[in-house]
Amino acid sequence: MDKKLFRKGDIVVIGTALLVAAAIFLLRFVGNEKKLVAEIRVDGEVIETIDLSAIAEAVVISPETEPKVTIKAENGAIYFEHADCPDKLCISSGKLTRKGDTAVCLPAKTVITVLGADVDAVTY
Amino acid sequence: MGKKKTISIVSVAAVIFCVMLIFYSAFLAKETGVEFFAMDTYIKVSAVGTDSAAACEKIQTLVNSLDTEMLSRQNENSEISVLNSNGGIMSEKMQEYILAMLGIYEKSNGAFDFALGSVSDLWGFGNNPHLPANSKIKSALEKSGADKLSISGNKISTNGAVIDFGASGKGIALDEIKELLGSMKIKNAVVSVGGSVLLYGKKNFTVGIRNPKGGSGSYIMTVSTPAACVSTSGSYEQYFEENGKNYHHILNPETGYPVDNGLVSVTVISDNGLASDALSTACFVLGIEDGMKLAEEYGCEIVFVDSRKKVTASDGIKDSLKITDSNYSFAE
Repeated sequence: MDKKLFRKGDIVVIGTALLVAAAIFLLRFVGNEKKLVAEIRVDGEVIETIDLSAIAEAVVISPETEPKVTIKAENGAIYFEHADCPDKLCISSGKLTRKGDTAVCLPAKTVITVLGADVDAVTY
Repeated sequence: MGKKKTISIVSVAAVIFCVMLIFYSAFLAKETGVEFFAMDTYIKVSAVGTDSAAACEKIQTLVNSLDTEMLSRQNENSEISVLNSNGGIMSEKMQEYILAMLGIYEKSNGAFDFALGSVSDLWGFGNNPHLPANSKIKSALEKSGADKLSISGNKISTNGAVIDFGASGKGIALDEIKELLGSMKIKNAVVSVGGSVLLYGKKNFTVGIRNPKGGSGSYIMTVSTPAACVSTSGSYEQYFEENGKNYHHILNPETGYPVDNGLVSVTVISDNGLASDALSTACFVLGIEDGMKLAEEYGCEIVFVDSRKKVTASDGIKDSLKITDSNYSFAE
């Protein structure tokens, strides 16, 4: 009588299957926790993805929008620096420094988001 | 021999489980997102399910046509523009929206007044915000108000008042989107129409309530809730400064001036989008005591934030609220 619970072959099969599944699952659902990555989108199109954790010197981005906006990215932060829109709500959003932080310039159809929110949505 | 068979079954079961996990993560849990600009605001959709890509596309079409064909006052051919100018026959949907808004107008004793278009136009929020002359506000107020409307069956006369969906349109969009998602294979979805949020599906969601002093993604507390519509009216959303004073966009229907009662934001959680949107404005105007009563009447949960950074919440939601910003605390 075979007393082993698993045979060698079973362990190999189960192990391989679990590893493959876990790898696919992790790749899909787990991102890099420490990185702070911002995305700039104009009219729904991503025009720039910036790793804010890796910026050494400040970068100024001027997407082709009407009205004109200027976005500044620096180490750990990104924000609307200048906007020709009338209400300047995008500038009053201030510096985006945490995951999920978002600033929107409606007239210029420009959105800055720091990727990876802790909540499903923010009501405002 | 029996043992060997059991072992093989375990092995096969493990492989099947793993294949299902891969299948789930690759196909069933397919997440699609889209963002676009409509209804003078920013709209963000995230949907999970086999129909998620199609849902994103359909939501975009739905919101755009709801806006341009029915609710937008900027489009002179929209249904509301035509009704505002000449009155006439309402479509079935329009009748449904207006009757629901009229109900909230009456129950809130006029605190939610959706026929103040001429007054809000004077303030120019959105394009040219400024302090209008007092005489202009007074004369616009006289011609405004939902009490001026005459409705008989599907016929409406506005009698000079201007119906505006500024405080209900986002909620209406959420209701229409919810109906659309119900007809598709969608497991769960989160849709934000300018900060009014639809939480769809059988799971528990976490929603942040906006930090009045921060960007539109930063929050001061989180609320945990099953599927619902969550809307917020905040004095920080549209405002301007003139002569050293801040003027925001939530107008007191009695005076025509911004509400000045110490509130900074009001969040309403409801099964219905129109109710959550309209009640957040109504309860902002009413203040904590009367706002709490009105929300209760509609079976909604409500959260008030005031300028002293105190939070007041209805009993049903208190335990699901978590204040994450140490500058804020519950009112005693």
